[in-house]
Amino acid sequence: MSIEEAARFVAAAYAVILAVLILYFIITARRVNVLKRDMELLEQEVERRQPGGASEG
Amino acid sequence: MKKLISAPSLFMGAGVFLVVGLLLGFWWAPVDASSMGFSQKIFYYHAPIAETALVAFGISFVAAILYLRSQDLKWDRLGFVCVRLGLLFSVMVMITGMIWGKASWDTWWAWEPRLTTFLLVCFLYIAYWVLRSVVEEEQRRATYAAVFAIIAFIDVPITFFATRFLPEGLHPVVITTGDTGMEGSMFASFFISMIGMTLLLVALIRSELVVESLKDRVADLKHKIGG
Repeated sequence: MSIEEAARFVAAAYAVILAVLILYFIITARRVNVLKRDMELLEQEVERRQPGGASEG
Repeated sequence: MKKLISAPSLFMGAGVFLVVGLLLGFWWAPVDASSMGFSQKIFYYHAPIAETALVAFGISFVAAILYLRSQDLKWDRLGFVCVRLGLLFSVMVMITGMIWGKASWDTWWAWEPRLTTFLLVCFLYIAYWVLRSVVEEEQRRATYAAVFAIIAFIDVPITFFATRFLPEGLHPVVITTGDTGMEGSMFASFFISMIGMTLLLVALIRSELVVESLKDRVADLKHKIGG
């Protein structure tokens, strides 16, 4: 196999690694954002429900 | 010291080692003289990713034992995180391995010892994930998962040593106690990439544990509101 032909396979392999890692980071970032938003909303709700907490509405 | 092992520092360290390892692999290490030729350059990330996947499964095995001894859910969380990351690295190993196989053996897949046992490792840890999703109660789920993780780990050393015990397979032996069969520059590039991948795994474990603690906090708050 010539270097040019092999280079295509090498490039494909490294592109796959990069793509998988980027995809993983995007998914994780989305998960963290959703969790942080949920946590904020839930904390507000808990605070609102506590006696002496923020009033409803 | 704490700053040195913080997630951003670990990610940065991993990035530096991985880039240096790759650059050395391409520009310092010579093109392989065997039939693999230039396609051997895939090796500089493929092998470290494979070793890192096995390390992640190894950590999940230790975490499973620690959980069964202590019943502390933090070990269950660590084990689950490591299995997830092990599977992430396994996906990369399988795909890059298939590409490399096509380039050097002219086949995408061969039912030879290393590949077959590694595929079995993947299936076992996917089963571990499925098992976790079907058990509701937390402590019971953690116990079942820990027992399964210990059983699943049996295949990891088999995979690692498959090329040594069954040398008739296509896959070459990379890490040996004696002569590596590699030129010094090749081994150095591989070793630097290996450090980078290990640092990446540690950084990912740290960040995944942060995500898990966020999940716990959300579940706790939901429980508070529901109760």
